[in-house]
Amino acid sequence: MLRLPAFIGGICCLAAAGCAPQVGPGGSGEKVAYLSDRTAGPNTLDPVQGSSVYDNRACTMVYQTLLQYKYLRRPLELAPLLLEQMPVVSEDRKVYRFRLKENVFFHDDPCFPDGKGRELVASDFFYSLKRMAQDSNQPKGWWLLKDSIVGFDEYRQQQNDAETFDYDVPVEGLKVINDHEFEIYLKQPLYRFTYVLAMFQTAIIPREAVEHYQTKFARNPVGTGPFRLERWDVGSQLIYVKNPNYWEEYYPADPGINKDGSEPYLGYSADKALGFYVDAGKRLPLVDRVELKFYVQAQPKWLKFRNHELDYTMVPAENFEEAYIKRTAKIRQEFVDKGIRSHAEPLLDMIYIGFNMEDPDFGGYDEKHKWLRQAIALAIDWDEWNEAIYNDLNILYDGPIPPGLEGHPEHHTLSHSYRGPDLPRARKLLAKAGYPDGKGLPKLVYYLSRGEKNPEAAEINQRNLAELGIRLDVRLVDFSTLTDALRNSRAPFFSLAWGSDYPDAENNLQLFYGPYKSPSSNNFNYDRPEYNALYERARVMSPSSERTKLYEQMRDMVIEDAPMIGSMARTRYYLMHERLRNFKPTEDFFNWPKYLNVAE
Amino acid sequence: MWVYIIRRVLYNIPVFLAIVLLVMVLLRNQDPVPGLLGKNATQQEYDSKRHELGLDRSLLVQYGALLTEIVTFNFDREMWTQSGMTVGEQLRSAIPTSLALTLPALALTTLISICIGMLSAFARGRWLDKTLVFFAVLGMSISFLVYIIFGQYFGSYQLGRLLGRPIFAIHGYEMGWQNWAYYLLLPVLISVIVAMGYDTRFYRAVMVEETQKDYITTARAKGASDRKIMFVHMLRNAMIPIITRIMITLPFLVTGSILLETFFGIPGMGNVLLTAILNNDFPVVEVFAAIFAGMFIVSIILTDVLYALFDPRVRLQ
Amino acid sequence: MISRPISSRLRRLLNTREMRKLRRDKGALCALLVIGCYLLIALAVMSNLISRQDCTQVIGSNGMPGFFLEESRERRFENARTSMLKPVLRALGHPDPKAALADVKLGRWRVAEKSLDELQQITDDAVALRLILNESENLDEEPQFEARLVEFERKTADLIKPLSGWDNFMQNAALLLGTDAQGRSIFFRGVYSIKVAIQIGVVTAIVSVLIGAVLGAAAGYWGGWVDSLIVWLYTTFSSIPNLVLLVVIAYAFTDSDAKDTLLPVYIAFCSTFWIGTCRVIRGETLKLKEQEYIQAAQTAGFGSWRILFRHVLPNTSHLMLINFSLLLIGAIKSEVILSFLGLGVKSQPSWGVMIRDAGNNGDVMTGFFWQIGTATAFMFVLVLAFNILSDALQDAFDPKHL
Repeated sequence: MLRLPAFIGGICCLAAAGCAPQVGPGGSGEKVAYLSDRTAGPNTLDPVQGSSVYDNRACTMVYQTLLQYKYLRRPLELAPLLLEQMPVVSEDRKVYRFRLKENVFFHDDPCFPDGKGRELVASDFFYSLKRMAQDSNQPKGWWLLKDSIVGFDEYRQQQNDAETFDYDVPVEGLKVINDHEFEIYLKQPLYRFTYVLAMFQTAIIPREAVEHYQTKFARNPVGTGPFRLERWDVGSQLIYVKNPNYWEEYYPADPGINKDGSEPYLGYSADKALGFYVDAGKRLPLVDRVELKFYVQAQPKWLKFRNHELDYTMVPAENFEEAYIKRTAKIRQEFVDKGIRSHAEPLLDMIYIGFNMEDPDFGGYDEKHKWLRQAIALAIDWDEWNEAIYNDLNILYDGPIPPGLEGHPEHHTLSHSYRGPDLPRARKLLAKAGYPDGKGLPKLVYYLSRGEKNPEAAEINQRNLAELGIRLDVRLVDFSTLTDALRNSRAPFFSLAWGSDYPDAENNLQLFYGPYKSPSSNNFNYDRPEYNALYERARVMSPSSERTKLYEQMRDMVIEDAPMIGSMARTRYYLMHERLRNFKPTEDFFNWPKYLNVAE
Repeated sequence: MWVYIIRRVLYNIPVFLAIVLLVMVLLRNQDPVPGLLGKNATQQEYDSKRHELGLDRSLLVQYGALLTEIVTFNFDREMWTQSGMTVGEQLRSAIPTSLALTLPALALTTLISICIGMLSAFARGRWLDKTLVFFAVLGMSISFLVYIIFGQYFGSYQLGRLLGRPIFAIHGYEMGWQNWAYYLLLPVLISVIVAMGYDTRFYRAVMVEETQKDYITTARAKGASDRKIMFVHMLRNAMIPIITRIMITLPFLVTGSILLETFFGIPGMGNVLLTAILNNDFPVVEVFAAIFAGMFIVSIILTDVLYALFDPRVRLQ
Repeated sequence: MISRPISSRLRRLLNTREMRKLRRDKGALCALLVIGCYLLIALAVMSNLISRQDCTQVIGSNGMPGFFLEESRERRFENARTSMLKPVLRALGHPDPKAALADVKLGRWRVAEKSLDELQQITDDAVALRLILNESENLDEEPQFEARLVEFERKTADLIKPLSGWDNFMQNAALLLGTDAQGRSIFFRGVYSIKVAIQIGVVTAIVSVLIGAVLGAAAGYWGGWVDSLIVWLYTTFSSIPNLVLLVVIAYAFTDSDAKDTLLPVYIAFCSTFWIGTCRVIRGETLKLKEQEYIQAAQTAGFGSWRILFRHVLPNTSHLMLINFSLLLIGAIKSEVILSFLGLGVKSQPSWGVMIRDAGNNGDVMTGFFWQIGTATAFMFVLVLAFNILSDALQDAFDPKHL
């Protein structure tokens, strides 16, 4: 009688043994790259609706923007992608003239007549920009174009109020010259406009696809990219295949050492030694298929990497000591012996705690409140935070400008900063502000999103501030509630991280610009006329030493007024198997899978 | 009999309505719009979004709209967190996946538990019974989570390392019969181990009650073998409570196991439901609640009918 | 009712047939003893024997194993580096070293009472040793560094003021089962969680049993529309999968003012747990209704409420007791799952929170079983004891139980 269950069990095991799917490259010599992301997956494949880095990665496989960043060069440099050459900018830097590449075709798709993709033309780009203006598309990237192109804001207002959104109505600042040439007129010479052209939200979309798929368009992407979407298993994986009609793009050529013996760019020799120029000159993309898998938890992802089912992975903090010797942050020998390579990539990252400057108790520009905020800043123990949650791997720095950008303090520290922990000084300032040992202060309500490590971070901060006598009322909320609270200026004290959208400190400094107060990105509601004036001057300048000086002034103002306590930048550690070639990890742009190659 | 059925349906309609209303009210405690629009939206965008989603209507209006949808089997409302995908599509892909996990689990658990329960009842009071009950109690005292965490680690990762090739998937899922064992067998086994404690004791109690009945003594006196008594007599008469229990459990299979699916990354109904609740995706939760309520009521009525069919002493009033 | 002195009432209670059967059951008595111990611990925690601070402060480096097990050289280096050395170095560099040194603490450890010069000397030596040790590629594979490592450990230990008596005992106890990923004491957190678990279990079980019993008795006794209403109510609630209902209710509270307390947990649990008791009591009431003494009371003209509370409910008290123990177990186990999903206990340590931390940090994958082991073991013993006890109760009072 007990035989029955045993029998069933036996059958199951046999079935199981025979059922393990093939792991590794697909049959018949097809080259497959196995990538992964730590997420439940993108919410949409419509660039206009995307906002997270996961949307970015998923979209840029299929869609392309006018500009891209050069893959291997550091510091980051923009280069034309769908353009023949970089845009020609007028003297006053308000007119940009573009020339599209010829013979770039959209993917073959049922939305086109005969299913054949047609050639890319100038009006396609304007169509894509206009889509970013249409509210019913749920665009998340409109703020990139806000107040920059002549006539565009008016067009947006007009069309959104009208019955139907008309894409054919012309916009003054968007002028088509012919099929491959067009001009854009800016209201002011914003320097960041060129960066915007490289951001995935401005990727080019064919009108036919949107009209054909309507609401299903977010699941049926049609672009000019090197890959086409084959399948999307929601919550599980995205499968892309090579676009057979991809236009002629080639792997970057080897620049060679300069005549005077110096490197053509930072890190060139390392790249060369790793074999990144072996495929120079080859036509892209180099692999036939890319499988992008999603994992909400770190552990399965890590185990799959160890099992060779994934080609690379970011190392989760909890497994760091498994792969690296913590003391030296060097990869362990046994991993090297297995052919695994390591790469450490510092991020353009700003992890900070912010104050709401309009809060009656903790905000305000007068000295008393300033001392109060500075005291709080001095009580936060960044070392402990770093140690407990990030394995002591983060870079701690003063001010809002991340490492690697103009304006970042040398050696990450400034003598006039208020970086904790420094309890004696904090106590003095707190007493000076009129709250000795925190007496007379109400509870400080602290908002954080319910991320994985945030409860621990909240506890650490709570403990540290208790040393000063300040009581924290910790509110762990989901991200949408946090966003809501910030938009409505309900959060007096909050923890956030800001990842740079492009490699320019302006992206961080705009967070303190008065006119961008809630409900825009200035969550601090910081509004100082002196700061605003500096910002307005700096944002129309191209990189120069004067501009850097302005950045430094702004940075120091922020440090002194303390609307923000910070900051920290994460460093990502990547591990990759020998099989994956040409992989130079970066989180600043995501269209690099086309450069990847796999060994057989 | 049909009169009975119709009367039961009518009686249970308020239950159905109450379930849907309860779920709707609980959900609306949270505002989903900020999460959908992101950090850079204006107040105007918020209002238009709220209007688009129908959240500015009164609760009763929304309630009525939902009920109309359910009754006309119209599941084409779009999900809020995944553009372009309707609720119907999502449920259609998630429910079979959950069933692929819970049905085999239920079948296995029932089979094994009945056998062990019978054994235990038969050997009541002796050391075999005591040991089995003891292990059942032990098993019931460990958290489900611990089984999952250790199961995933030892059953999947370590076993794979030991044998040189992956036998069970650590995580993930792919459709297709040939993939079933690789992805789902381990979660099914974990599910069985966890449920066995409760089920064994339940079936044991049912069997014990049977053993105390007169016909068993008669059968023994007539010299019937143990096996015959167990399978032919006890099992048949114990069918009623067993079937009742299984029938009541059936609708819950559709929900899948939230924990197992989250841990193993199986895109089943439990996972979808949890994500929808935590991300304020109302259509998914509401439509699912309505469907589930319907199934639940159907199963209750079916159970009563089956009960009557099995046991002629029960008259359907 | 004839009044009698309490002691004789108690003796009568303990001598009923059921209670005698219970008293003979060795297993049940053991279980009762264990539960008693847990209760005592919970009371001790509530009177601040182990405070919340003990549970949240850092007492050592991260991920230390328990029972003072010997660790690898790299880990010993980490432990020494992150103990007193780091904060003392920082304090010595402060413009006001004395004040800064006074703030340095690691659990109950404080800086040694030595002069500034002595401390400076020790830290200088330690830093020099650290430089030497940093020349190694991998300390675990280079035994020649052992001597230096021991010296490094000794130097960093010199910075610590020796503890005595109670403080020493507590500091050692804290390290008994190791530290978690933040450096907090696993032992203290596990013990504190006993209080949280018992608190949640007892409150939830009592409230649920009371609600369920009153509603069930009312339904059974009065019948008619009252019965229909209550049956309709519990059919509705039991038709939503347990966990889903818990999640939805707990989540509905996430932005309210009460969300940091245990109130959402209580409300979620009580809303789902009253059903079982209600059904059982209702069934029992239906049976009792036919009893003679109830009918006698009705004839005598006693009010319905009085009959309900003085005759019906007391006679179902054995069922209430059984349900109480079952629900307590259910509450503890459900709390673990809710906390794991992030919706249960928020601002205190609990077994669910510990298991969640262990799961999120991949403890098991890296072979660190201390946190999950402690939480599981403590919970297992308590739940097992309650399971045995409730089995014994059922055997004694309700032999035809399921």
